[in-house]
Amino acid sequence: MNFQLNEEQSMLQASVRRFMEANCAFDKRSQVIDRGSFDAAHWQQLADLGLLGLTVPEEFGGMNCSAVEAALVMEECGRVLCVEPYWAIAVLAAQTLAATADPKAGPLLQALCLGEALPVLAHEEVNARGNMASVHTRATAIDDGRWRLNGEKSAVVAGNVADLLIVSGRTSANSDDEHGISLFLVDPNAPGVERRDVRLIDNRWACHLYLKDVEVSDKDLLGSVGHGFAALRHGVEHATLALCAEAIGVMERALWITRDYLKIRKQFGQLLGDFQSLQHRMSEMLIELELSRATLHYALSSLEHSPAQRSRALSVAKAHIGKSGHFVCGQAIQLHGGIGVTEEYVIGHYFKRMTMINGAMGSSMHHFEQLAARERSIGVSV
Amino acid sequence: MNHELRCYREDAQAWLAEHAPRYSGQARHGLSFDDDLALARAWQAHKVEHGYGCITLPREYGGAGESELKKVIFCEEEMHYDLPLVYFGISLNNPLPIFLRYAPQAWKQKLGPATVRGELIWCQLFSEPSAGSDLASLRLKAVPTEGGWLLSGQKVWTSWAQIADWGVVVARTDASLPKHAGLTYFFLDMRSKGITVQPIRRLGEEKDLNEVFFDEVFVADEQRLGEVNGGFKVAVETLMIERYAVTDESGYGPTLENFIDLASKARLNGSPALADGEVRARIAETYVERQGLRAIHRRALEAFARGQEPGPEGAIRKLLLGRTRQNLAAMALDLLGANGAQLAAHGHSVNDFARAWLDPSLRIAGGTDELLLNTLAERVLGLPQDHRPDKGVPFNALAK
Repeated sequence: MNFQLNEEQSMLQASVRRFMEANCAFDKRSQVIDRGSFDAAHWQQLADLGLLGLTVPEEFGGMNCSAVEAALVMEECGRVLCVEPYWAIAVLAAQTLAATADPKAGPLLQALCLGEALPVLAHEEVNARGNMASVHTRATAIDDGRWRLNGEKSAVVAGNVADLLIVSGRTSANSDDEHGISLFLVDPNAPGVERRDVRLIDNRWACHLYLKDVEVSDKDLLGSVGHGFAALRHGVEHATLALCAEAIGVMERALWITRDYLKIRKQFGQLLGDFQSLQHRMSEMLIELELSRATLHYALSSLEHSPAQRSRALSVAKAHIGKSGHFVCGQAIQLHGGIGVTEEYVIGHYFKRMTMINGAMGSSMHHFEQLAARERSIGVSV
Repeated sequence: MNHELRCYREDAQAWLAEHAPRYSGQARHGLSFDDDLALARAWQAHKVEHGYGCITLPREYGGAGESELKKVIFCEEEMHYDLPLVYFGISLNNPLPIFLRYAPQAWKQKLGPATVRGELIWCQLFSEPSAGSDLASLRLKAVPTEGGWLLSGQKVWTSWAQIADWGVVVARTDASLPKHAGLTYFFLDMRSKGITVQPIRRLGEEKDLNEVFFDEVFVADEQRLGEVNGGFKVAVETLMIERYAVTDESGYGPTLENFIDLASKARLNGSPALADGEVRARIAETYVERQGLRAIHRRALEAFARGQEPGPEGAIRKLLLGRTRQNLAAMALDLLGANGAQLAAHGHSVNDFARAWLDPSLRIAGGTDELLLNTLAERVLGLPQDHRPDKGVPFNALAK
C-alpha cells in the first residue's frame, strides 16, 4: 500500500476542498436543504470540475479515476457535511450503471457526467438491513418482454430529485437469492409510481417509493433478465467504500472542532483542555479515528483482490467505522456539553450524519455478523 | 417498608388506576402542544383535589403536607402512566418550594396556591453561556436602583421559559467578591419589561429549552430570596430540594420491554433478531443492570425511611441510565433498518428510539457524566478535589 497521495490526487483534494468550503459550508446549508438538498448551480459546477464522472470510464465521458480518488472526494463531503446527492448519483448510480455494461447505460452515464441526468438507484427495501440480495419487489411477466413491478423501496436517497429510477425487481427465485434480480429503468412519473419525499435525520432528502402495477418492458431492462445482482454488488461495494471515506471526513472534523472547543471553553477557572480526563478522552477518539482510517486504506487496497477478500475488507471497514464513528461523534457532543445538543450548532449534525452512515449499506452489527459467519463457514485465518 | 407506606402505595395504585387513564396514553394521542399543556394543568389540579399534588408542600398552599418518602412512592406509581408531567417537572419541584421557604408572606399567598394547582408555571434561570457545570461563574448582573434591582444579561437552557409565568433567577450583585460570594437570588414575573425568550432547537426536536435575555429588567427588592450576596447558597438549596429524585428507570427512553418487542418482530440476516447472540446479550445486560438499580433504589428508600441522607445512589443511577439508554437505542436503530432513519411524527424520547438515540442530553443536563464522576471520586472515594485556580479570587480579577 502506498499511503502518499500523488500530485494529481493532492490537487484533486485541494480543489474539492475549495469547492466544498466555498459552496457547501454548514452555515450555507439551510437554503439548500429547504430546496430538497439539491442545488442546480452546485451540480453544474461539480460536472464542470469533472467530479460527477470521476470514476466513470472515459468512453462515457468520465475521468476514469480509481476508488482512491472517489474516496478523497467523499472525505471532503464528510468534512463539511455536504447534503447534496453526490454519493447517490455520482457513486452509487454511476457505478451500478457502468457495471451493467448495457448499451443503454452509456448515453445515460454521459448525461450523468454532464450533470444533465439524475439517475438514482432504488434498491434497498425496509427489511434488507444490508443484505444486498434482499429484494421483495416483484417483476411479474405479463407476456414476452413485458413485466409488472409491485413493491416498495425505502428511503431512496436523492429519490426526491431523480429524473430516472433504476429499480431492482425480482423476476425469479426467492426473496433473498442473488439470482433472479433484474434491473429496470423506471420513469418516476410513470403510472403506478407513487413517491413520498422525506427529509432524513441528517438533512438529506430521500423518497419512499411505492410501485403498483408499474409496466416495464425489455426496452427498460439493464443487463439480462435475472442477472442484475453483479452490477448491484459492484455499485454497492463502491458506495460502501465511499461512505467509509465520508465517515473519516465526518469523524476528523468532529474531532478537531472539539479539540478547538476544549482550548477555548473555560469552567472552574480553567480550560476544559486542562482536565486530564478530557485529554485522555480526546486521545481515545484520535485512536478510533486512526484505526478507522487504516481500515479504509485496507479496503481500498483490497478492491482488486478476489471477491471474498474484497468483501471481507469492506466488512472490516464498515463494521469498525460505524462503531468508532458513534464513539467519536457521540463524545464530540458530550465534550461540548449543552451546546452540543442544539440544531443550530454544527457538532450534533456530525453525530446525525454518522448515525445515518452507520445505518446505510449494512450497519456495524450486520458487517460484524458477516465476518463472523465467514469465519464459521471457511475458517479463514486473519 | 412499614405498613403505613405499603397502604399508601396501594391506595395510590388504586387511585391512579381509576383516574390516570383519562389523562394519559390514548387521551394524549395527537394532541397539540397547547392541548397537551391544558390536559397537564387539569391533571395537576385533579391531583391537588385528591391530596396527590405537591405531596411534601404545606397544606395552607394546597400541598398534602406529607413526607418525602410518600412523594417518592407516588411518583414511582405515577410514572407507570404516560401522563403529561414534563411541564411541571421544574416548576413544582425546585422554584416553588424554595419560593415558599424564602418569600414574604403576602407573595406566598398570592402565588403559592395557584402554582400548586398548575395554573401558574415557574422556570429556573440558572445556567448561562459561560456558566454550565460551573454555575458560580455566572455573569448576569443585578445593579441596585430605586426600590430594587435592574437585571441585564443572558440565561440559557431554561426549560419551559416560553410557558412560564414566574421564574427564579441568580444574578451577580458584587463582582469584587470571589465567584460564589457575589450572587443574589430573586423571583420575578416572566412578563416583566425587558425579558425576551427565544426557543432552542434540539437535535431530537423537543420544544422545552430556551434562551432568555434580560435588558434592564426591574425586580423589586422584596422579590429577593435570601441575603444580598447570599444567592449561591439558595441556588444550591434549590438544586438539593429533591435529595433523591425519582427518575424513570429507562432514562426517559423506551423501556427494555419496548426493545424486546421490537427485537421480536425484527429479522437479522434471515433469522429472528431474538436468536442473535449480541441482541440476547444486550437484553440480558440491560436486565441485570435494571435489577441492580432497583435494589440500589430500594436501599436508598430504606435509608430515607430511617431518616438518613441518601448517598451516591442518584449519581450512579443517572450515569448508568444515560449509557444504557443510548446502548439500547443504538441497537434498536440497527434492528429498525431503513425505518430508523426518520423521526416518528408525534414521537418523543420515551417512545421513539431514534429520538432517544439522537439526543444524549440526559448525559449532559442536570450534571454531566463528567461532573457526576467527579462527585463520586471526591465525595465517596475521598480523593482530592480538582485544582481550582479561581478559588478565592475576586470575580472581576479572573481572566475571561
